[in-house]
Amino acid sequence: MANFNLRKAEPKDVPDILRLIKELAKYEEMEDQVVLTEKDLLEDGFGNQPFYHCVVADVPAEHQKVEGYSVIGFAMYYFTYDPWIGKLLYLEDFYVMKEYRGFGIGSEILKTLSDTAVKNRCSSMHFIVAESNKASIDFYKRRGASDLSLQEGWRLFRIDKENLLKMSAEE
Amino acid sequence: MEFTIRAATLEDCKDISRMILSRCELAEYEKVSDQVKIAQRDLEQDGFSKNPFFHGIIAEVPEHLKSKEGHTKVGYSLYFYTYSSWKGRAVYMEDLYVMPEFRGKCIGKALMSKVSQLGLAAGCTQLNFTVLDWNKSSLDFYLKLGCWDVTSDLGYHCMRCEGDVLEHLAQGDL
Repeated sequence: MANFNLRKAEPKDVPDILRLIKELAKYEEMEDQVVLTEKDLLEDGFGNQPFYHCVVADVPAEHQKVEGYSVIGFAMYYFTYDPWIGKLLYLEDFYVMKEYRGFGIGSEILKTLSDTAVKNRCSSMHFIVAESNKASIDFYKRRGASDLSLQEGWRLFRIDKENLLKMSAEE
Repeated sequence: MEFTIRAATLEDCKDISRMILSRCELAEYEKVSDQVKIAQRDLEQDGFSKNPFFHGIIAEVPEHLKSKEGHTKVGYSLYFYTYSSWKGRAVYMEDLYVMPEFRGKCIGKALMSKVSQLGLAAGCTQLNFTVLDWNKSSLDFYLKLGCWDVTSDLGYHCMRCEGDVLEHLAQGDL
């Protein structure tokens, strides 16, 4: 099966994007963490100042393996900044439905994103991977990705809303 | 200590660049120029054009409290908006820096508080940043503020594809 198409996401793709986000979260055993709605995705991705960009992979009707779904993969990304090296592309989510793996769709998505990064004069593409996700780690390492947490000791820290509110109230 | 926190302007890029370079020197990199590719004019273009890639805030002291070298701009934070596919809008604090002679006076906390306020106002539900694992004093500072270590707790590793690796990926080489 080689027939698939990669394109920029459109507002009509929002229901499929949310479906795939939830599938990926389920794969990571975090399905209950997804609180994003279609309304959020529409407002935040297709307004005047989008918070994210998306590419989707779709297949023509005659090649659908799972009935009713033509959008079978996606990647969500945005641009970030490192004051030492400049613009970066950050890959937030990257997923291809199980039934469509092994056909080069993931590699093609990654190639498109890397090309986007280079064309936008980004010096690097960053993303996070769970250390338990051996298949993904291998996929990325085979393509030359470095693990900054292991190699340089970077740890990702987070403050959630409750503590953000406390911190913002501090004088 | 008396200080103010305000939004960075184009004119602040000279001081932001100065502080970025001294931060690199403090980290004891032998060749600062090998590490820092971004100059003042890059910051001006990337942060203050129509579609900025980052936003900045500055900590400033009054003239009578200026540094030994005569600087009144003594700290900064650079941040930008990101997106969580699970939770939506988020803010990422890329840099947080206070000149060594002005530390211990809550300026760092005030800068972080301001980023939090701005993030919440923009509809963000989380603030993210990275810390190096050997930086014990920073790790403690952040943990005390209610931050949690995503790398430790969820096993998330920060990954990177840069330079030649990125070029090869773009060309479809495996």
